[in-house]
Amino acid sequence: MLSAQERAHVTQVWDLIAGHEAHVGAELLLRLFTVYPSTKIYFRHLGTCPDEAQLQSHGQRMLAAVGVAVQRMDDLRAALSPLADLHAQVLRVDPANFPLLIQCFQVVLASHLQDEFTVEVQAAWDKFLTGVAVVLTEKYR
Amino acid sequence: MVHFTAADKAAITSMWRKVNVEEAGGETLGRLLVVYPWTQRFFDNFGNLSSASAIMGNPKVKAHGKRVLTSLGEALRNIDDLKGAFSQLSELHCERLHVDPENFRLLGNMLVIILAKHFGKEFTPQMQASWQKMVAGVASALAHKYH
Repeated sequence: MLSAQERAHVTQVWDLIAGHEAHVGAELLLRLFTVYPSTKIYFRHLGTCPDEAQLQSHGQRMLAAVGVAVQRMDDLRAALSPLADLHAQVLRVDPANFPLLIQCFQVVLASHLQDEFTVEVQAAWDKFLTGVAVVLTEKYR
Repeated sequence: MVHFTAADKAAITSMWRKVNVEEAGGETLGRLLVVYPWTQRFFDNFGNLSSASAIMGNPKVKAHGKRVLTSLGEALRNIDDLKGAFSQLSELHCERLHVDPENFRLLGNMLVIILAKHFGKEFTPQMQASWQKMVAGVASALAHKYH
């Protein structure tokens, strides 16, 4: 699904994120909760007003999973199968929420990378993250 | 109906003053056409849209992007009555242009990303929230007269 060039854009940006999963993840979640407060219903275990430590802890987990997806772009279904099960059986996040998370992810990337966030990089990440979301919701029914 | 707080309005107008509408317009529309290629369906007469660089450099894309953002900027002056401000444009997009309102949401999200790219750290989560509210209001206003 992703061309060789698109994969390169994904891995190059990931190389900048790797090692900073907690901070990037925390910002991602903060944006998600600030911009789209209804998404907080899926994170009740973080409390009504999650602090930085909680955001980093959970953000780190989410970004680590994105890292797995980056490593195994050719094999997403197998790589994300346990997470797909989790989302289908336990979390049951309404699929309409994934585009909201992706929007926040793109905003995080854009605000940090700025001029390096070229249209090609943006397109590759949009395609990649959308593919991840599809896999995560594929077992819903 | 969207309700903008005083803080939302202050954040939006202060940031908008620093935006180069011509550049941002071309960037926003160009990226929409690249990232979501199916949106090109409305621009068959725009000439060369065959590659990302062709699209981003296309003078018609730039001109139209500028027009769209200029219109958005004008609407900011009527932020409490977006439906009124966009009433005629809504009719136009429905009756003449036949644009799926989903495109207004996509374009709005694209503008938010462009602002984030341009303003970096200054584009805080609170700033993003105000702007997402703004673009959602605009999209809704543009869809309002559809029938």
